[in-house]
This record gives sequence, structure tokens and C-alpha cells, in this order.
Amino acid sequence: MSSMFSDLGLHEAILLLPEITMLSGIVALILIPNLGDATMRIPLTRIRVPVLIGGTRFDFTSNPRLPNHVTNAVLFLAFFYAALLLNPTNLSEYSLEGGPGIGNLLVVDEFSRVFTLLFTSALLLASMATATRMPAMHDVTIPQESDSPETADSKVMALIDNRRQVDFHILLLTTGLGMSLMAMANNLFMLFVCLELASLSSYILVAFHKEVDVGGEAGMKYFIVGSVVSAVGIYGMSLLYLWNGNLDMADLAASWSAMEGIDPLAGIGVGLMIVAFAFKVGAAPFHLAVPDAYSGSSSPIAGVLATASKAMGFVALIRLLVIVTMPSSGQAVWMLAIALIAVVTMTWGNLAALTSDNPKRILAYSSVAHAGYMLAAMAAIGSGLADASTTSMILTAVVFHLLVLVLFKLGAFLVLSMLEAEGRGHRMEDLHGLAVRDPAIAVSMFVFMLSLAGVPPLSGFLSKLLMINGIVSVSAGTGPASATSVLSWAQGVDPVFWLAVAIVLNSALSLFYYLRIGLVMFFETPESDSPLKSSPSLEWPLSLRSVIMICATLTLLFGIGPMSESLLDLVSSAVDSLLSS
Amino acid sequence: MGDSKNEWELLVPIVPFLLVAPSLKFLAGWESVEAAFLIVVVPLLTFPAILVVGQIYNGNETWKQRYKEGGIFGLGALSLSLSIAIWIIYDYVVGSAHFEAHSVVDPFSWLTFDVIEQTGTQWEVSTGFADIGVGVWIDSVTLMLLFVATFLCFLICWFSLGYMNTDKINEDSNHRFYGEFVLFAIGMFGMVLADNFLWLFIFWEIMGLCSYLLIGFYYWKDSAAYAAKKAFLTTRVGDVFLVVGLLMLYDIYGSLDFAVLFDNPSTGVGGAVVESGELNWALIMLFIGAVGKSAQFPLHVWLPDAMEGPTPVSALIHAATMVNAGLYLVVRMVPFVDVHVNGVAGLEEFALTVAWIGGITAFMAAAIAFVQNDIKKVLAYSTMSQLAYIFTGLGAGLLFLNIDEHHAGYFVIGASMFHLFNHAMAKGMLFMASGSVIHEVHHAHDHVRELSEKYSTNEGDDHGDFDPQDMRNMGGLAARMPVTATAMMLGSMSIIGIPLIGGFWSKEGIIAETWAACLHEEPLMLVPAVLVLATAGMTGFYMTRMWLMTFAGPPKSEVVGHVHETTPWIKEPLIILSVITALGGFALALLGASDYLGDPHHAELSYHGLLDTLEHAFLPEDSYLRLVGWTTMLLAMVIGPVIASRIHGGRLIDGVEASPLVSWLVDLSSRFGSQDVSELADSQLAEALQRRLYFDDLYEVALAKTAIPFAAFSAWFDANVIDGVIKQIESNSATGSVQIRRITTGSARDYILMAAVGMISIFALLWGVSN
Repeated sequence: MSSMFSDLGLHEAILLLPEITMLSGIVALILIPNLGDATMRIPLTRIRVPVLIGGTRFDFTSNPRLPNHVTNAVLFLAFFYAALLLNPTNLSEYSLEGGPGIGNLLVVDEFSRVFTLLFTSALLLASMATATRMPAMHDVTIPQESDSPETADSKVMALIDNRRQVDFHILLLTTGLGMSLMAMANNLFMLFVCLELASLSSYILVAFHKEVDVGGEAGMKYFIVGSVVSAVGIYGMSLLYLWNGNLDMADLAASWSAMEGIDPLAGIGVGLMIVAFAFKVGAAPFHLAVPDAYSGSSSPIAGVLATASKAMGFVALIRLLVIVTMPSSGQAVWMLAIALIAVVTMTWGNLAALTSDNPKRILAYSSVAHAGYMLAAMAAIGSGLADASTTSMILTAVVFHLLVLVLFKLGAFLVLSMLEAEGRGHRMEDLHGLAVRDPAIAVSMFVFMLSLAGVPPLSGFLSKLLMINGIVSVSAGTGPASATSVLSWAQGVDPVFWLAVAIVLNSALSLFYYLRIGLVMFFETPESDSPLKSSPSLEWPLSLRSVIMICATLTLLFGIGPMSESLLDLVSSAVDSLLSS
Repeated sequence: MGDSKNEWELLVPIVPFLLVAPSLKFLAGWESVEAAFLIVVVPLLTFPAILVVGQIYNGNETWKQRYKEGGIFGLGALSLSLSIAIWIIYDYVVGSAHFEAHSVVDPFSWLTFDVIEQTGTQWEVSTGFADIGVGVWIDSVTLMLLFVATFLCFLICWFSLGYMNTDKINEDSNHRFYGEFVLFAIGMFGMVLADNFLWLFIFWEIMGLCSYLLIGFYYWKDSAAYAAKKAFLTTRVGDVFLVVGLLMLYDIYGSLDFAVLFDNPSTGVGGAVVESGELNWALIMLFIGAVGKSAQFPLHVWLPDAMEGPTPVSALIHAATMVNAGLYLVVRMVPFVDVHVNGVAGLEEFALTVAWIGGITAFMAAAIAFVQNDIKKVLAYSTMSQLAYIFTGLGAGLLFLNIDEHHAGYFVIGASMFHLFNHAMAKGMLFMASGSVIHEVHHAHDHVRELSEKYSTNEGDDHGDFDPQDMRNMGGLAARMPVTATAMMLGSMSIIGIPLIGGFWSKEGIIAETWAACLHEEPLMLVPAVLVLATAGMTGFYMTRMWLMTFAGPPKSEVVGHVHETTPWIKEPLIILSVITALGGFALALLGASDYLGDPHHAELSYHGLLDTLEHAFLPEDSYLRLVGWTTMLLAMVIGPVIASRIHGGRLIDGVEASPLVSWLVDLSSRFGSQDVSELADSQLAEALQRRLYFDDLYEVALAKTAIPFAAFSAWFDANVIDGVIKQIESNSATGSVQIRRITTGSARDYILMAAVGMISIFALLWGVSN
């Protein structure tokens, strides 16, 4: 650990700019709201000098929107730096002679920076949506429709005029910091610590609405289940340590491929770690707390859980499965387990979403189903049929899917967040007739639903197509070429092929509930005719409505045309940087 | 009734559109061909704009008065298309260096297909199997159609400003009209400019869609909805064959690009020699598509009903543009047939099919037109008949070309295309003139009804079923509507083929060459030749009858006395087209348009061939053809019109004077005595013609016996089997969903239990795999 600090120089600082930005954001959030006109008397004199900390706060520092503005700015800067660092020439210019590693713990490469991009953009969207949404005290209520504009405004002001704003945003930033560091971790221990930093912050974020019973309960459940599986994971990690003597991933990978058969210590250790990471991605049967957590938290936070947090779990899984425990040839030991989990997960998620009447729970289950699709793609990598190029292709598809999920999954949660702002969003009836109340938002929501269902030409289609294409291209070649009929071909093909079939069937099933949301938005009569309130006093240059519409537009643009191609190129070179290291 | 002055100041927004073409030429230095894509693109941008803005500002006074509910923007876009079209035509005719053989703007790739094929035990991927791009193709055929389409679309849009926007029934829905109108124009322009058959087909279908929308513009009327459906479905029959034909062409040549196809039609994909067998069928399939679009026998039934649409639509679809699409398609097939340049020999059957269909339709439609009383229906049947002339001419031309008589072939194809031009101009004008008549009669009728309601309360409501399109309610309008009467007279003369007027030259060419084909080459051409000759006389009859019933004789209803020619925007297009019909066709004919259009590389537009042209028309060397020519003139000019005059002619009522341009005709019509034809009108033949020779009934019975039971079965299958299966899946899934959600109890204890179950399963699986 000491080597890490001794290595820290200017180059490392530049490579870690996004993290440093977030860290200074946290410090700023602690300091700035506490600035006041306090003075201190120099001992033995009568001279009082201002010390700035404490006293009566200045108008500026007590501005309830300040934490939000700071967080937005910080996250945007972090996003910007991460994008700058994505450029391989920038990366190589600042990387050290001994490779891109910092100490033996962190690797700054395109792969980790793509994920930094993902995490910061998801958190930025959530933070922007939270600007006016923070309940302050017990007696403060969310504005009702019947309220006059003045009353509604004053309620909103009361809602946000509180120190809890600061707490909330600090937690957002620590989540981002944890995730971002975690994506760079080159050591299982480091990976786990960062994962926990992000997870613990997110548990609190889920429970932040303690005024509402479901909020506290959801957070508590999420925390209990989460800590149990974390304990399981740490136990597994300790077994791996026992087996190998250190937790450096390259070292572990070397030992793993040198191992004859499967050492029980290593096998159990990996199994236990899969449990921990499967909980993070929301795979069945570890996902049960997920729908509760999503519906109990505020929508933007649920969106963060569904996108950034899930992506974090997948980074961990990719590192563990593809980097550490992938044999040089033949089927990986975890392949069958992951494949079964994938099929169970996608079916469970889709089935459970089918009859749910709470849009947030539907989205939660849909997020479970999507985890199943991506796990299926991972299983195809582990089948041993994939060569280097198909492995990279499938990983590209998974990472691309995680990236575009930010647009349409989080976008859908942002729409629900607009409904939440008027005290709705927990029942299907709240979506009724949204098209009449706010056509642009309803159309955007419909775009998100179609993209989640995988309808061309949206980006959700492209990513799902790439995953299915990856699975099919590794497996379809195994079908006997002599087969004369489809049936005899199907009997001979490698079982991995059926993962693709499972994805397709599940996608068809999922259309039922995705289209139902579209149906009620466009064809049901709304419960109230008033236009949707766009967060009454939001002073951010971009209103939440326009953010949602930007998400919808990007959902389309990343699905077809030059933008999608350049994003795919970016992701594919990031994946290559991971696989070549 | 507004005042008759035109609101010229409303045209100001059009000026920027008109400035585009000159500024591209003189400021940006573009070639005309480079700007060709704007002909389609600008309307393509205008069409959604009209619809969206119209929806937003619907009912707004400025939008209504200043912008005519979008009409002004439509007119602007069409004026830009027209100006660029004229620019291209000018460049082409003066022989600019950029038009060598055919001018193709480089296509850009649109769709690329890869194909995976199994060869033995290997799967092979061939990339770029089919590459479909978008480009512009310009040759003499394109130019003629392009001019006709852009020019008439522009004039009809202008006319619509008067016709549509002064009628209460259209109020607040005109943006829909103009939006669909412009989309229709896009379809036509795009079809004409397309550089491969696939894009031609796509634009062809856009037109089909718009014709459906426009015919059904008054969709709340059952008859309009029915007519729209009928037109759509009938043309769809042809389109299915068209697609089959295109696939066959693709099979033969491995491409649908004009550049590939026309380069050497006798060499197919991979250098194979093309036999006439499959190509013959491919071309016939394409021709059936053309038959549907151009309303030829036996797919003609939709055209008369399509008159349910607003009159500008009738003019647009049935005269100027859509019906010409079929002709355009047939002219495009000339390279396949022309054995003089690389064509495929042995395609006589195809040529004969075209000529026969043309001859039959010409005769049949003219016969049905004898008994129609609806002014627009007469024109509709006349359109069918005249298009059939063109098909006959094209058939004869294709026949000549296929047996290497290319001089005669090029001439008759040129004559056919010239007839297309003459007919489009005359018929567009006739439809607009009939629209003018209908519009004013309708207004007059409203006026009369107001008066009668004011002054007499006990008069019955006998105006309820007054039909402003029925010629039996008109008569004597020559005095009330001088401009319209003159325009209609000139249009009718052109359609009849009165010597020296435009239509004469082209029709003469077609009939003479059809007979030449029959006499010198192919006896089977006798049927079309006889039919078109007879039709010439019949045309003389029914066009004269229509004019006389409308404009001559005493008024047949009290409404006539209140008709005034006052609506703005309506007269200008009539005057412009009258001049073109009366003088333009004549001038072009003397310039040798028939030769030029048939073979622009060896002929040129000039007065050098003046004597040849005159000789060819009036005194051909061949004595048979001389006989045919003079018979045609006799039939068309004398016999047909005189019989019509005896039945329907007559002076205006006393004290009313028509303008001198038409009064001579009214006088003349009264000098042949009169004849009572009531016995003939009650005969079975007349009844059969009234019922349109029972084609509609036949089709309805056939459909009721075949398609409707099948549709009912499909509906049952869909509702019970397909929906049933899906509903079963849904209900099963819902049951499963309820069951699976029970596991989510809400208690963290159970969640951890499930996690433990999962953990143990993972262990079991890892254990199983590793051992």
C-alpha cells in the first residue's frame, strides 16, 4: 500500500483527474455550506479575525440549491476529464514507463475510463433530476396538485432548504468516487474496498427518504441482504488469498491457469465471489431485494442503481470471470453456473414484471431481465468456443449495452421522477394519459420502453442484437454442417446457442409489459388534465424535461448512424485495452 | 362571392423559392444536373412543414387568408421544382456538354445486402451482394415527364388556391390537402428522376398512397371512402405484378439500376445471353403494373369513381401525373426492346399485348363516355381512352423497334410521348375548367337556394339532390363563363384532334403508324388499328357532346342564370394552358417534337423538318396511310361532332350573347338540325354503357365469391387461432408471474434464504463441472 503513495506524482494525478475532481467536490461540499461569518478572537487581544467556518451562514452558502449546483459541476468536470483521458494518445502521454498501472492496485486504461464516463453521466443525470426533490423535515410535504403556484413554490423551497441536501450530494459523489476507482482496480482487495465504498453510500441513498415508511424499510432490507452477500464475498476472497498468497489479478490469473484441476479453495472462493457480484448486478436468485430497493428509493436513485451500480457489478464480474478465471482453452468452470443464472434471471425478471402494477417495480424487474441477457453473453465467453475476436465482440456488446442503458433506463426513471414530483409514480394509473398531459415526455417514455424492449432502430436494439449476434456467432458454427433439416441441426448445436433463443423468447415476453406502458400513456384517460409540472423552481439551465428529451434523442442516435458507430469503436478499443493487458 | 381580382400580394413568399435556381446558377455556379435533387428534396421538406404548421395554426385568420392554409408554401416549393426543371430542360435542349448519352448524378449507397450462402460444408459470406443507391437519371423521357409534372402540379396548386380555399366544406382541413398534394408531387418527381427501378417503385407507391388519401379527402362521405379504397386496391393488383416483374428483371440482370440494365440489355448477370422468354414475361408483368396505374382495361374500374376527390385532385391524378406514370414505365422499357441498340429480339408478344390493351381500352372507354352525364366522368373516360391511344402507339413503336424498323419505331414512340404532353396539358386544363364550372354552379345553386328560402316558404326542398356536376343541370353557360368556355373548347379540340391544334399531330402519328404496323409488318395489329381509328370519331362525338351540353343550348336549370365566373386564382391557369394547347402544341409539332422525343440523339428541334412534318401528317407517300389519315380527320372533325350537334346543339336563349371566341361554335352547332335519340337512349346498349359494361358488377361478384370469404376466414383465423395462442401465452405467463412474485415476500429473511439457495446451487454447479 505504501508503494501507491510513493508513486503518486504529477502524471498519476493527471491520470486520476476525474477521481481527484470528485474528491475535491466532496471536500468542497463539506466546507462551503459551513462557511459563515464566525470570528475568532486572537487570544490575549481584542482583535477578532474571521475564521469563516461556523457562525451565521452567508446567503450564498445557505442557498439550498448550492450543493446541487456544486455536484452537477463536479460530476460534469469528472465526466469531461474522463472523456479527455479516453483519448489513447492522452492516456499514453501520461502513463508511466512501467505501463498504465498506479502502484499495483489501479490501472488507468480506456476500459476503466469508459466506465468512469458511464458512472459520472448516470450520477450527473440523477443529480440534475434531484435538484428540487429533497424532502427536508417531517412536516414538509410534497406539493399537491391542488396547491396554488405560490404554495407549491414555498413547499418546494421548504423541501430543499436543508442541510440534508449536502448529505445527499456528498453521498452521490462518494458513490461516484467508489465506482470510478473500482473500475480501475487491478487487485481484488482494492476492487472490493471500492465496491463497498460505492455500495454503502448507495444503501444510504436508498433509505434517504426516511419520512416515507417504504424508503427506510427498502434501504434497511437492501443493506441487510447486501451486507450478508458482501460478507460471503469477502469470505470467498479470503479463501482465494489463502490459496494464492496475494490478490493481484494478474498473479491470480497466472496461478489459475497453472492449476491442475480445480483447487477446492480456489473453486469455493470464486463461487462465493460470484455470489457477491451477482447481487450487485441483480441476478436471480439474489435479486429479491432489488425491486423493493428501487420502489422505495426516489426515482433518480433507482435509476443510478439500475445503471451505474449494475455496471459496477459487471465490471467486477468481467474482471473476475474473464481476466482471472478464464482458462486458455476449453470451457470455464463457471460457465454452466452463469448460463443457468442468466436464463433464470431473465425469465424471472420478465415474468415478475408482467403483472406488476407499479411502474418502478416493472422497471426494476426489467433491469433484472437485462442483467440476465448480459450474463448470457458472459456465459458465451466462458463456453470456450469464443476466440479472441469473438470474446472482444461479446464484451463490446455488454459494455455498449451498459452504456446505452444509462440513456434509456435512467431516462425512464427520470420520467417517473417527474411524476413523483407531484406525488405520483407508484401506480400504473399515474401513467394513464401521459400523452395528453405532456406529449413530449410521453413520446420520450415510449422511446425508452421500445429501446428497453429492443425495437430497431433504437440503441437498445443494437446492443441486444450485438449480444445475440455474439452468442450465435460462437455457437452456430458448432451445428453439424451435414444437417439437412433445422431439427437435426438444432440437436447437434452447442447448448450455448439456446441462450440466444432464450434471449429472443424473453424479449418477446417483455414486450407485453413495455408496450402496456405505452398503451396506458396514449390510450387511457388521465386522472387529471393538468399539464405535467416541470419541477416548478428548477433554475438549472437545462430543465428536466429537456434532459429527458435529450436522453430520448440520444437513444435513437446511438442506435443507428455515425454516432452509434463511433461509440461502438470507442467501446471496442476499450475492451481491447482490457483484454490485451 | 369574393371579388374576382386576384390577391397577387399573397405571392410574395414565393419569390425566394423562385430565386433559388438563378442564384444557384449564377452565384454558386452549379450545373443544372447538380441541382436536380432539389426538385424532390424541397417539397419533401415542405410537406411536413405544411402539415405541422397547419395543425398548430389551424383556424388562425392569417394562416387562412395570407397563407391559404399552406397552399402558398406548397406553391412556392412547386415553383422551385418547376424552375429547376426548366433549367435542366433548357440545358438539355441547347445541348450542354454535361448531357452526353444519359446523365446520371453519382448515386450514393443506400442499402447494402450481404448474403450468406452454403456451399458444400462451408458458409460463405458475399458482401455487397446488392447495393441500392439513390441517384438521378435524366434523358429525353425524363425531361418530358418532368416538365409535364412540375408544370401541371404548379398550375393545379395555383388553381387549388381558388377552388379549395373558397369552399366552406374544406375550411380548416386544407393544410391536409396541400400536405398530401405536395407529397404526391414528391412521388411523381421522384419517380421520374429515379435512376433505378427500385426507387421508381418506391415513389410509385408514394403516389399510390397519396392518390388514396386525396381521393378519400372527403372521407366522411361513404362514396369517397369507397372510391379511395377501390382505387387503392385496384392499382394494388397491378403493383403486385409490378413487383414480380421487378424481381424477374433482377433475376435476369442482377441489378435494378438503369445504368446497368440499359447499358446492354442483351447481356444478363455474369455475362449470360438474355433470352426473350423470361424477359418477355418480366416486361408483361411490369406492363400490368402500368395498366393498373394508368387505368387501362381490365384494371380501369377505379378511375371514374376516383372523381369523388376534389376537382384539383382529379386534374392532378387523372390528367397530369399519376396516370402518366404507367406510360413512363412502358417508355422506360424501350431499351430492352430496341434491337437496333443491344435490345433483345423476340419480344413481339409484349409489344402486341401493349397495343391490344391500348386499342381495347380506347374503344371501350370512348363508348362508355357516350352516355355519361357527369361532366367529370366524361373527362375520366376520355382520359382512359386517350391514354390508351398512347399505349397503342407505344405498342406499335415497341413492335417496330423489336424488328429493327427503328425509324418508324422512334417516330411513333416520339408521337406517343408528344401525345402524352398534349393530352396532359389539354386534360389538365379540361379538368380545371370543369372544376371551374362545378365550382360556380355550386355557388350559384347555394345562392339560388338562399333566395328561394327567403322569398318562398312553401317551395319543396327539391334542391337537396341537385348535382352541380350533372350536365343536365347546365346548358347555355357559354354566355356566363367566357374564359372557361374558351378553354374547354380549345382543350376539347386538342383531344379530338382538330387539325393544326397540338393533339392532332400526335394522334395522327399514332394512328398512321399503327396502321403502318398492321399493313406492313404484323397482321395482328389490325384490331388495335381498327379500334383506334373508330375511337377517333367517337372522341369527336363525346367531347363535342360534353361541350354542347354544358355551354350551348338553352339553360336546363334556373341555377344557370346565377352563375358568375368570379372566383380568384382559377382563371390564370386556364388561360396559360389554353395558350399552350392552342399554340404550344402546334409550334412544337412544327419543330419536329415527335422525332425529337423519340430519338433525341439524331433529331433536333428546328424548323428544318417543317415540310416533312406537314407531309407526314397530311400527304404521306403510302396511299393506304393517306386514306387512313384523311379518314381519321373526317371522323374526328366532321362525323362525330356533327352527330353530337344534331342531338345536343342549339342556340343560347334570346338576348344572351356569348363571347366571339365561342359564339361561332354555338351557332354552328345549331345549323345541323336536330335528332331525337330517346329511343336509342332507352336501348339495352345504352343501359349497358350506363352500367359501364358491367365490369364493376362483375368484379364485385367475383370478389364477393372469392376475396371476401377468404378475408372472413383470415379474420376468423386471426381472432381465434393467432390471437388465441397469444392470449393463451399471455394468460399462462400472467399465472406464472403471479406465482413467481409470491417468492418476493418482502421479508429480508427470505431474501437471504434465497441467496443461500443460490449460493449452494452455484457450489453444486462448480463442483459438478470441476469433477
